[in-house]
Amino acid sequence: MRLLRHLQHWFTGQGFHLAVADFVPETHPVRQWADTFPWAALGAAVERSVAQRFPTPTARGRVPVATRVLLALELLKHELHCSDEQICSQLRTDLAVMYACGIEEVRVERSQGHFVLPEVLAQFRTRIDAALMDELLALQAAAAMEQGLVSPAHLVVDTFPSEQGSQRVNDAATL
Amino acid sequence: MKAQAQHLQRDLAKIMRRFGRQCRGQSKVFVSVVRQTETQLLTTGSPVVGLARAAQVQVQSAAQLTAAQRQRWATQLTVALAAHQQIATQSRRLTHGKPLPQCKIVNAYDPTIAPICKGKSNCPTQFGRKPGIIAEPATGFLCAFALPVGNPADPSYVVPLVTKVQHAMALVAGRSAVAIHSLAGELALNDATLRETLHTRGILTVGIPQTVEPLLPAPTPEEIRRMLHAAGLHGKRTPYQVQLACASGYSRPVVESLIASLLGRGAARITYKGQHGATVQMGMTVMAHNAATVVRIQHNRLSTRAQKFRHLLRLKRHNSNEFKVVKN
Repeated sequence: MRLLRHLQHWFTGQGFHLAVADFVPETHPVRQWADTFPWAALGAAVERSVAQRFPTPTARGRVPVATRVLLALELLKHELHCSDEQICSQLRTDLAVMYACGIEEVRVERSQGHFVLPEVLAQFRTRIDAALMDELLALQAAAAMEQGLVSPAHLVVDTFPSEQGSQRVNDAATL
Repeated sequence: MKAQAQHLQRDLAKIMRRFGRQCRGQSKVFVSVVRQTETQLLTTGSPVVGLARAAQVQVQSAAQLTAAQRQRWATQLTVALAAHQQIATQSRRLTHGKPLPQCKIVNAYDPTIAPICKGKSNCPTQFGRKPGIIAEPATGFLCAFALPVGNPADPSYVVPLVTKVQHAMALVAGRSAVAIHSLAGELALNDATLRETLHTRGILTVGIPQTVEPLLPAPTPEEIRRMLHAAGLHGKRTPYQVQLACASGYSRPVVESLIASLLGRGAARITYKGQHGATVQMGMTVMAHNAATVVRIQHNRLSTRAQKFRHLLRLKRHNSNEFKVVKN
């Protein structure tokens, strides 16, 4: 229930409790995938970076959605090839996604439309800069090295091209 | 200074208001009016840079601010100055009537990304970014990535990537003997200066074709001595490490498999906007790929070559009898 307190008010429904970890099998690909991340270190790095660059002048207002949830959603989006809307929708209904987001327990409530809005995810993304991205990747690599799973002794370096997707044309571009 | 800034802001707002009035109700933007307004904005807004620099100096000497506040203000001012410089450059290009190149992306004020593959507008690779990756070749774990603006030369990627990996290694608490022994690359590592830089850091640069003859996967003792001597790494790197480095080498299929994995996770098409968006998308894709790689390592779903290489590196093998605890 630790993360529950950080989520929005509509996250606490009226129905019975459901332990997410008990429901998702240990062999589930999303569960195995999610268990590899050093979530505590990643979350702390994001919070430290955001607090430094976007200090909140006041403690008033609704408690924000937990960093862990948003970071996991952003990563899951790429793993499961989803759009913002799709992954936020999956978080509402898919217990494996809930597990990956660190939600341990939920209350069953049919009337709830969503847990996290896609707009919140998009806003979170704007707060991630290149330095933070490098830090997150370094923490993941460090965790893998620490567990003895990966060794940086012999490495290979290369480049590859990828397509630029946005091809909007407007008046300003034709000046 | 505050009064000056307020006065300047008022003047700029006035120009923009006039621009809005001229275009109101016309349902289109007049290019001539845009050019006139841009010229006025550039002329009137020229003191902005001076004011920002003066503010930077004052922030550093302001006694009433804490160190954190000073740092935050300094960062914000630096970012604002960089943005101003970029916008002013683009504006001048536009007001001078210089046409944008065919491959120009998004809008006129986005940072220019040089194309790496030119084509027609319906071509799938008209525009592009060129990410650099540094990976463990056995399993395909990506230790770092780089996504520079434009299309710089390949050697410029290498040192920043190595620095990033070394930063990650510094974060490792438990294992003290973690170091980069060798680095393999195709075209990037042919640069003599770059090789020298890497040798200074104690990193062997094997696997780079210097002649048309293929590199031996199992070099002779003489060849090993020659390589160590050429790199100036006698005493720093052992013959065993050279052997491993040669066995690992550079393999295009290995790199292609990494690229395929990233493309499968959405790296083929950058859907987030601008350089910042591309960095976030690429970073998240790499992290998702790494997590899948770790799962493969934990479940021994590795090629025979990878398993052998991990054995030679004395890396941990997954124990299926290990007690499973909830790590969430």
